[in-house]
Amino acid sequence: MNIVVCYKLTPDAEDIEVKPNRTISLEKAEWNIGEYDLMAIEAGVQLVEAVGGQVSALSVGPHQTAASKAKKDVLSRGPDDLYLVIDDALANADTHLTARLLATAIRKRGPFDLVLCGEGSSDLYFQQVGLQLGELLGVPVINAVSRIMPADGKVIVERSLENEVEVLEVPLPAVLAVTADINQPRLPTMKEILKAGKKPVTEWTLADVPPAGGLQESVTVLSTLAPKQVERKQIIVPGNPDEAVQTLIGYLSKEGVL
Amino acid sequence: MDEKFDAIIVGAGLAGSAAAYRLAQAGLEVVLVERGPYPGSKSLSGGVLYGRVLSELIPNFWDEAPVERFINNQVITFMTGEASFSVDFKTQAFSAPPYNGFSVLRARFDRWLGEKAEEAGAMLVPGIRVDHLLREDGRIVGIVAGDEEMRADVVIAADGANAFLAQEAGLRERIPPAHIAVGVKELIGLPRETVEERFRLTGNEGTAYAIVGFATRGVSGGGFLYTNLESVSVGVVMHLDDLIRHNLKPGDILEDFLAHPLIAPLIRGGRLLEYGAHLVPEAGLQGMPRLVTDGFLVVGDAAGLTVNNGLVVRGMDLAIGSGIAAAEAVLAAKEKGDFSAQGLSVYPQKLEASFVMQDMRTYANAPHFMENPRLYAAYPQLATTLMAQLFAQTSQPKAHILPTLLKAVKESKISLLDLALDGWKGVRTL
Amino acid sequence: MADQTIWAFSEKPALLAELIAGARQLSGAAAAVVVGPRALCEQALAAGADRVYWLGETSDSRLVEDYVPTLAALVTEQQPAALLIGATKRGKAVAGRLAARLGTSTITDVKRLSGEPGSYQAEHLIFGGGAVRTEQPHGLLLCTVGQAAFEPLPPEPGRTGPVVEVPFVAPPWQLQLRERKEKPPVSVNLAAAKRVVCPGRGLAKEEDLALMRELAQLLEAEIGCTRPLAEGLNWLPRERYIGVSGANLKADLYIGIGVSGQVQHTVGISEAHVVVAINKDKTAAIFQQADYGIVGDLYTVVPALIKALQARK
Repeated sequence: MNIVVCYKLTPDAEDIEVKPNRTISLEKAEWNIGEYDLMAIEAGVQLVEAVGGQVSALSVGPHQTAASKAKKDVLSRGPDDLYLVIDDALANADTHLTARLLATAIRKRGPFDLVLCGEGSSDLYFQQVGLQLGELLGVPVINAVSRIMPADGKVIVERSLENEVEVLEVPLPAVLAVTADINQPRLPTMKEILKAGKKPVTEWTLADVPPAGGLQESVTVLSTLAPKQVERKQIIVPGNPDEAVQTLIGYLSKEGVL
Repeated sequence: MDEKFDAIIVGAGLAGSAAAYRLAQAGLEVVLVERGPYPGSKSLSGGVLYGRVLSELIPNFWDEAPVERFINNQVITFMTGEASFSVDFKTQAFSAPPYNGFSVLRARFDRWLGEKAEEAGAMLVPGIRVDHLLREDGRIVGIVAGDEEMRADVVIAADGANAFLAQEAGLRERIPPAHIAVGVKELIGLPRETVEERFRLTGNEGTAYAIVGFATRGVSGGGFLYTNLESVSVGVVMHLDDLIRHNLKPGDILEDFLAHPLIAPLIRGGRLLEYGAHLVPEAGLQGMPRLVTDGFLVVGDAAGLTVNNGLVVRGMDLAIGSGIAAAEAVLAAKEKGDFSAQGLSVYPQKLEASFVMQDMRTYANAPHFMENPRLYAAYPQLATTLMAQLFAQTSQPKAHILPTLLKAVKESKISLLDLALDGWKGVRTL
Repeated sequence: MADQTIWAFSEKPALLAELIAGARQLSGAAAAVVVGPRALCEQALAAGADRVYWLGETSDSRLVEDYVPTLAALVTEQQPAALLIGATKRGKAVAGRLAARLGTSTITDVKRLSGEPGSYQAEHLIFGGGAVRTEQPHGLLLCTVGQAAFEPLPPEPGRTGPVVEVPFVAPPWQLQLRERKEKPPVSVNLAAAKRVVCPGRGLAKEEDLALMRELAQLLEAEIGCTRPLAEGLNWLPRERYIGVSGANLKADLYIGIGVSGQVQHTVGISEAHVVVAINKDKTAAIFQQADYGIVGDLYTVVPALIKALQARK
């Protein structure tokens, strides 16, 4: 099976710094592969281990995506090779531009049987790009995939909805957005980490892979701010533990929450 | 894994990365295994980086490495609960290359050094914890991590203060609490202008404080404070056995230290950026393990290479020095094709010939001296009481310095003999 | 025919009713897009829609997603200013494919909508709840909206309006449904919990969770936790972690025990009605995020609280 797995390198939301006036800075953040993308990579690698074939990893983004540590990280998880489209203008690309660019890059790479995406990115979690990508490539696309079973010319997938699981036949080629239940990604081994440095990497610029429809954005971000601080009473209940808990219970009763 | 490497270095701290850099430079196939996601992610320092040995490995490293401030102001402070007495030394002689020491943030600095090693050709393997040494016919031939084995002509253990691999290799016993210290530290963010105003700094110069007495509430050890570009590193380091004996918690001691009237204004309005704790070898020469066995070397904190002479605290430069010496020993052994303890004996020889072991020997008695409980209560009290008496202008008539001093000593209940002996021992040990 | 009407679509009638209310709130006029039995059209009118577009029935050989080309053609023809889609997994699938066909990006999990046609603004959370982003689409506002973002209007049975039967546009591909399987219910839904007891790093050992459970039982509360207990120490499953990329509480009562109050955790409790903190460190950040706090050792305070609560029963 010829598989492409798309992933996004994102700044770690835990490293968010809130500046005065509620603006957000991620300057000091460590950039990592999205946790849901790791599951998509694992799903691709498991499929190829089962039925043979190859897995390429693909990502589009700013220069951080091409950092040596990032390239080594993704390649140490099993893909055979890596394709990147790098430009700092992509740092805040909207989902539609991202999907268009991924589609163009996938077409440039060549034929494929399956494209796998994570449910959503670690930073924004919009859960849209995989779906848009399938539609733009003109192939069957489905989300919430929790199991993939290869068959002849197609895959049988389990789709995990809120209250039920659908078992669906998906003809290939297709795009699947996998859900967090699909697998537990393996930890890279020393061997895989060492091999990673030797695997082929193809790095393109936007000039190499001009996205169909150009670089237009379809939405404008007006602001990104830390959530408003909720005003809290900040009452410290005094006294020894027995007294304090009695007072507390009194307060909570009055609040109507006990 | 079928390949055999020239060397496997366990731990991409300063000793490990320095060794990896030196070996990769010489064209050897060296694997640098680090358990954290990147070199430096597990490092924490309570010291200043004295840079001379690193500048021999990477000339003018300060131009490219993420150092914070060059230190040209060293302050030694005796502290009591309400007072402090400091010797404050500042010189422009330390303000130009090759400088003297630097404050560093280890997560950034170690990462840079690890990247240098990678650029030189070392193969960095992050996110992997080495569980065991791999042995064949009793000889160490590599390492084991999870289900995987990796082989090399030599394993260099740069795995830090716990020295697990050195223990497994039979070079040392478990480290007793008496030989180890625990350090707790906060990184407090302050705007650059605030740092420069509060510490009277211009440009990139910086200050290092070594504080003894109240900082550790009588537990043997000390407090430190270093200025970084836009933050201050502040903390306390205490001998573990003494800490246990006093029945005190490091976090509580740190809290009190930060609230002390000398320290509090220096960090006022700052933002807590990081909080961490780390072990430090504290036994000096007598706590060092054997350094070599067949196919195996120990470097850095794992080799107990730290010095605390009361004025300065050193570990980083010793780590780097030992990493370089280890690398040169491996190169020499490769030439002879002999990786036995004998073949690797160039390592202890180089250490002995260098400042590393010479300084370890010079300061061999410092740890014992630094355990003197008078250092932590009686002397700070004496110094501050004396100063208070010299400066106070009450309705009582004043006396000259000498009688004031003698009176203060008498009231402190420190015997003149102890005072004299401590002073004599101090200037000869530290 | 561009007009002020905002469209609402969901395959779940209850969610559709909420979106209709949201659409009315934003523009005054709502149109509902319905898939399923024809009777759902009348329900949509009763829920406040002024007009209904009925795409058709669903079956095992015609899934909701098979209507994407039909819906795309309808939107292209009718040019609504905005389309709100219920944020179920199906809804997200429809929204994503629609966005690609219509040449735009979907704004997902919208919490607040404002503005006028042509300049609508949608607010949603990013960075796992660590930030609020406000976006403005250049053309059609296409967004997904989750449960409880809007309150449904009081139903008006017998309310009438046009129901347009939309001609089916055959999709270029279809997935074959082989089987439907029931799903075991989720073990815990902290977002729906009315009361939550949340231990943090102050808890010395895993066995002490028994104390937390005793308290939770007395309060009829769920147990949540901070990230280290779920991910680092693995004392509790990941679903119980409250904070950035974890659960967001809407509880009446939250009690943080031995919780320091770092922002990565407290983003998850900002919508709790009453926040109580128990921590022995008087400078812990949690006290500024709490309504009521007790400074004390949890190992004395919590047993005292349990005793006091038992006495009340």
